[in-house]
Amino acid sequence: MNVQILNFIIYQAMKSGTPLLLATLGEIYAERAGILNLGIEGMMAFGAVVGFGVAYTTGNPWLGLLLGALAGALISLIHAFFSISLRVNQVVSGLALVILGLGIHSVMGKPYVGQKLSNTITGIISPSLAQIPVVGSIIVQDPIAFLGLALSVVLWYVLFKTKYGIILRSVGENPAAADALGINVYKVRYLATIFGGLMAGLAGAYLSIIFRPSWTEGITAGMGWIAIALTIFSLWNPIHALWASYFFGAISASQYLLQGKGIPVDILGMMPYIFTLVIVVIASLAQLKKRIGAPEALAVPYVRGQS
Amino acid sequence: MVVVAIVFGLIGYFAAPKGETKVITKPPTLKAAFIYVGDIGDYGWTHAHNVGRLWVEQHFSWLNTTYVENVGAEDARQVIENLISQGYTVIFGTSFDHMIPMKEAAENHTDIIFFHCSGYIRRPNMGTYMADFYQLYYLNGLMAGALTKTNKIGYVAAHTIPEVVRHIDAFALGIKEVNPDAKVYVRVIHAWYDPEKAQSAANALLAEGADVLAFTEDSPTVLQTLESKMKETGTQYYGFSHYSPMQDIAPNVTVSGQLVHWEVIYADILSKVYAGLYTNTNLQDVDYWGLLDSGAVELGGKPGVPINPKFVNDLKSVTVTDKLTGEELSVYDLVMRRLDQMKDKQMVFDPFEAYNEPIMGWPKDGSPEDLQEMIPVGHRLTYHERLVIDWWVDNVVSVGE
Repeated sequence: MNVQILNFIIYQAMKSGTPLLLATLGEIYAERAGILNLGIEGMMAFGAVVGFGVAYTTGNPWLGLLLGALAGALISLIHAFFSISLRVNQVVSGLALVILGLGIHSVMGKPYVGQKLSNTITGIISPSLAQIPVVGSIIVQDPIAFLGLALSVVLWYVLFKTKYGIILRSVGENPAAADALGINVYKVRYLATIFGGLMAGLAGAYLSIIFRPSWTEGITAGMGWIAIALTIFSLWNPIHALWASYFFGAISASQYLLQGKGIPVDILGMMPYIFTLVIVVIASLAQLKKRIGAPEALAVPYVRGQS
Repeated sequence: MVVVAIVFGLIGYFAAPKGETKVITKPPTLKAAFIYVGDIGDYGWTHAHNVGRLWVEQHFSWLNTTYVENVGAEDARQVIENLISQGYTVIFGTSFDHMIPMKEAAENHTDIIFFHCSGYIRRPNMGTYMADFYQLYYLNGLMAGALTKTNKIGYVAAHTIPEVVRHIDAFALGIKEVNPDAKVYVRVIHAWYDPEKAQSAANALLAEGADVLAFTEDSPTVLQTLESKMKETGTQYYGFSHYSPMQDIAPNVTVSGQLVHWEVIYADILSKVYAGLYTNTNLQDVDYWGLLDSGAVELGGKPGVPINPKFVNDLKSVTVTDKLTGEELSVYDLVMRRLDQMKDKQMVFDPFEAYNEPIMGWPKDGSPEDLQEMIPVGHRLTYHERLVIDWWVDNVVSVGE
């Protein structure tokens, strides 16, 4: 393995890991509050098309990222309403939104197929430094990649070291107890879900504005599903999400390198899901379950007065 | 005899309507339908077919056309039946996947005319047509061999069906003629249209040291990847446009490419149908094989521009020996010479002919070490041998499946 290939893997790991990371961080917060949001793929797709459309029309990629994120939040608001206020089955609601989001992104994206943006967002450090072994691949990344890195740390800190984190986690573990303590369970869950959608939308906009050279239908290519697997794989911990997303990004980057050595691409494609299954099995061993298992009230609608 | 003539003449005179001129009835409109396997916005295969359709619709006032997108093998039969019930009398199927459903429809509707692209089944009411790029890929290969600095040339392939194998081999043969040290690396993405995989495969090839890329995939992604890589790192990369004019999308890296003009074939077919030369009974042997000599294909990344002006001087500065004449000339001149030789109806030159030495290769299901003589000296591959080609030229050293 020479330096050029190593650099390539690290570079791609961060680049393709970033949308996974952003979406996963959002989903971690939503699930920590007890809301299972399977609609990430649809929210990413919607965020991608809105982000691209805005960036294309206004020429401002940052505006595209912002509005893409808001677009994701908008769809998640639907999910929040159905899951929290109407107490609909969260699996069904989430999946419906996947279909909605994907459908919208196909239709809205038609005029943009094959188009590329004239202004995009690149790294701050000069790309010529990318040649430096290992470090070079990291420092030339775009600002959003660094945002992902920073957010992982910040969100980890908030989740485990602050009062707000405790409130969030308690709502996901035992909403009845949290309610009894005066916490507004509905409000917390709404906010967490919307945050999840915001991050998914941002991840989608990142894909269409920074990651891919032009707009194409199916731009999310299943990343939303990998983010859901990643949420479990990282055991609902933002710091684990950080290295896990880059790890999965590295796997996808190596696909065609290994194809040259005779390893079929599909084997690598399965890896994220196989790894997740392994982690789920390990985490469900009784001794470990209490410490690192899923939030107790995950996907269970909460009604005040019922336990 | 004369009496009979006078009698008939008198009858004709009294029978004809008085004072009216003979009315010429307007010829019927011809309704033709096109079935696409992909999206017309793909900027690749389907887009190009649609451009051809639009051309004939605009130029032939007697023609009405329609199209259906995203039709795979499963839907094709139903779609064909719908179109026939809407009154379309000529149906074009533009993907290999449409072959069997179309054949079945043709058996059931012997009054309808069918034309199938890229297949080989024909019937009295079903003809075939295809435009092939192997000559263009050969010319691209000449340029690739001359321009590469790393001697590693990559190819992002959709599937390794004979058509694509033929194109890769033609590309490799062109490279070999100019640069025997260069090697070709193929990565297969198993999809005709998948920008995500194309980008991934292109990046992997670049990471392994390739600086020239050609591809078979229905989007400009590979070229865009090269263009952004070049913008990021300042290194010059080279790429070849595919099917639709992509040079303007990636003007700094596109050297040349392959262009198709389906309208040449569609115009020929439809005007013959309209004139009654093609009917539902005489298509058994109608098979179009559009090459440079017919104008159905064109060299370049942009119509009218066979080589991007940016790279002309580079190509003029590399010299090579013409294997037919022994002459020394620049690669640019060789490309132009071969272009003329292949446009000639006599096809004086063909990439798949072994002139001075045999062409060596290895079987697709073998490994690069099993080199065998694939084309003996003096032999030019037959049409059939090209249709089923299943071996790689010896400078193709890595094919990922």
